Amino acid sequence: MNAAELRAVIARDLRPTRPLLPPSLRALLLAPLALATVIAVPSIYFFRPDFAELGVVRAWGLSIVEVVIGLTIVAMALRESIPGRALAKGTVVTAILGGIATPMLIYLITSERFDIGVPPRAQLYASYICFRTSLGAAVPALLVATVLVARAFPLRPGVAGLLYGLGCGVIADAGLRLYCEFTMPSHVIAAHGGAVVAAMIVGPLLASVVRRR
Amino acid sequence: MAGYLAGRLDAFDGLYALIAPRIRSYLLGQCRDGGLADDLVQETFLQLHRSRRTYEAGRPVTPWVFAIARHVYLMHRRSTGRRLKFHETFAAETRAGDLPRDDVRVLADQDTVRRALDAVPADQRRALEMHHVEGWSFAEIAERLGIRVNAAKTRAFRGMRKLKGQIKP
Repeated sequence: MNAAELRAVIARDLRPTRPLLPPSLRALLLAPLALATVIAVPSIYFFRPDFAELGVVRAWGLSIVEVVIGLTIVAMALRESIPGRALAKGTVVTAILGGIATPMLIYLITSERFDIGVPPRAQLYASYICFRTSLGAAVPALLVATVLVARAFPLRPGVAGLLYGLGCGVIADAGLRLYCEFTMPSHVIAAHGGAVVAAMIVGPLLASVVRRR
Repeated sequence: MAGYLAGRLDAFDGLYALIAPRIRSYLLGQCRDGGLADDLVQETFLQLHRSRRTYEAGRPVTPWVFAIARHVYLMHRRSTGRRLKFHETFAAETRAGDLPRDDVRVLADQDTVRRALDAVPADQRRALEMHHVEGWSFAEIAERLGIRVNAAKTRAFRGMRKLKGQIKP
């Protein structure tokens, strides 16, 4: 294709185009869904038995903090999807480590005892239920974030996918923590942390599927 | 850039005149081939056009365009690598097939493949060659031929089936 042919192709296709909103504003489009996720998880199942004892700040307040952190990570993914605005490697690593650490830190802040759990024989099943619930809760946000990222032009879809997958996992955990009262570290790390990491792995898979199509 | 986003062709011309030489020299520095650099410049502007809504008003245009140019170059390098790998694999399989092979036999085989390819319908043959020989992804083939991705896959699959049918006794 030479310059004249290129110009002809462009001329055929040229029409007024509205630029995308800035990444932070586009991430805010996810906010209603994120808040709905937080409310839906305990509403569909049940609120944790010690919900009243936690108080508003430690229950809803920390979940909202977690949602804000999740949305921030999604905003970073949306920024990564804009050509010329790729994130530095250090920023990506910090975001990933920070995102994974967030549910654990909030768990440490929330819990007073670290021995609430189920009998050993039921541990695997309880972990499976929490893992499934958290990952399932992340799915709507994951799908919307995938569309938001795909509407841009991610030059590194794997990195963008990792970030928005992680962000959606953190958002889902904000709902899960209002439902699950277990504080045994093995349960929290494997089931709650595992679901966040699983959502982070699903992100790049979705991003690459959407990119191929 | 604002004029271009508003749909004015003269604004695109201005952008092209301003940036194309810089993009070309960047790509020339990467690939060291004038003809290829020209092709990649056109490809860069095509990609730029498709993703023009990702440009954020008020930000400098240059980093945005150069990021796309770099991506186009890396994609080209990746697809060239795939093509080379295909040729090496094909050559190795041909050598390993039935040794010793003389030139006449090789030419005969090439002729058989060529005849078999001729029997494949043109649209299927094009998709088949673009994917299996030239190394394009189905998404890229769909974009270039102006068809859906599934149609590209179907054409390549049917073309390969037909080709195998022609070659097998």
